[in-house]
Amino acid sequence: MSHHLTLSLLGWAAAALLIGGTLAADNAAAQANPTAAPGNTEFMRPVTPRDHLRGSPDAPVKIVEFGDTECPLCKRFHPTLQRIVAEYPGKVAWVFRHYPVDEIHPKARKEAEATECAAELGGNDKFWAYLDRLYEITPSNDKLDPAELPRIAEHVGLNRARFESCLQSGKHAQRVAEDVDDALVAGATGTPYTVVIAPNGRLFAIVGAQPYATVKLVVDIALQQRK
Amino acid sequence: MDKPHPIHTMVEAAKEVFARPAYLGLAALIGLAAFVAQLWLPNYRLLGAVFATPEAAFALKAQLLASLLGGLFTNFDAVAAFSTVAVPLLFGIDVAMIVYFLRRRRAQLPRGEIAAGIGGAASGAIAAGCAACGSFLLITILSFLGATGALALLPLRGGELGLLSMALLLLSIFLIARRIVAPAVCEIRPHGNTPALKEQP
Repeated sequence: MSHHLTLSLLGWAAAALLIGGTLAADNAAAQANPTAAPGNTEFMRPVTPRDHLRGSPDAPVKIVEFGDTECPLCKRFHPTLQRIVAEYPGKVAWVFRHYPVDEIHPKARKEAEATECAAELGGNDKFWAYLDRLYEITPSNDKLDPAELPRIAEHVGLNRARFESCLQSGKHAQRVAEDVDDALVAGATGTPYTVVIAPNGRLFAIVGAQPYATVKLVVDIALQQRK
Repeated sequence: MDKPHPIHTMVEAAKEVFARPAYLGLAALIGLAAFVAQLWLPNYRLLGAVFATPEAAFALKAQLLASLLGGLFTNFDAVAAFSTVAVPLLFGIDVAMIVYFLRRRRAQLPRGEIAAGIGGAASGAIAAGCAACGSFLLITILSFLGATGALALLPLRGGELGLLSMALLLLSIFLIARRIVAPAVCEIRPHGNTPALKEQP
């Protein structure tokens, strides 16, 4: 009898550990950064003209994606958000913020800086053109040859020499680091992490590369939220 | 006498257990619950926010629950997707067989079976998610240990844990299957002054 009781207690303890561990994982990333508030979308930086935005700036619904250019699921999720923005013209705008997961994709941070160089040299349109092309050609999982970065710049119509100079300077490293801090504050523990902002400010955080149907439903629900 | 093949042992035990619809139902229920939990739990905040929204119709909320199941095809690589289906299935079978054994034989279960079962389920829960995108529990555990970089050295980038989970659950199923198919006998202890009779499943 006591043996069964011990086994039962052991089982419940294991279950509690698993559930507790899963919930704790949500805040662990934020806790790793001492300057970050506990992971919560409410503390996320608001969308401002500083952001890279695809779609109308006046769109009632904003989608903020925290992405890693070497994450295979971010690559898979990219066309989903392209489709959403195309199918909700004037209603949905997409903001991209960097969250390179350095531990498993050491090359991603420099690639994030490369997209910022594209923005510096060619504006918002070139940022998106560069990001689209990068996701298109990267094999993911840190397998993109760094020599491809200036080639992508040339491909999207940027001056290669100026791009290389920008990338080597590391001048956008701080900007990328700020985005990473924001991702941690927003509660991201992996990528892609997407926050849908409704017109009334209500936030809906989507974890992972969820199907188009899921993102569309969340956008529809967000559009129902009136100011 | 030749020992029966492990697969034969497991099949024979499964035939005995799952010939009873109640145990088949139990395995299906537990397997299904574990499967959907893997797909819904990572988005519990999203579900909480949507279900707390009065403007959204219930039909939309129900559609959202169903659509998240499609994440199996978009949010996992091939190995992770396979683990996501196989681990809950094996877990359901394991639990149903353990319950059957305990109820039929009214015997105590040695710790080996329990340990393998819990180990399989726990490693399956830790492995759930995408290792390549840093979105699973193992990343958090490894980051506490300062060993996240070790994942990059593994050929499946952490997907190995899902395979380990399946191996542990199969071991647990085999151990319990061996006990289920073994005939109940009385063991005679010849030594000592007071020979003891003990039922040995």
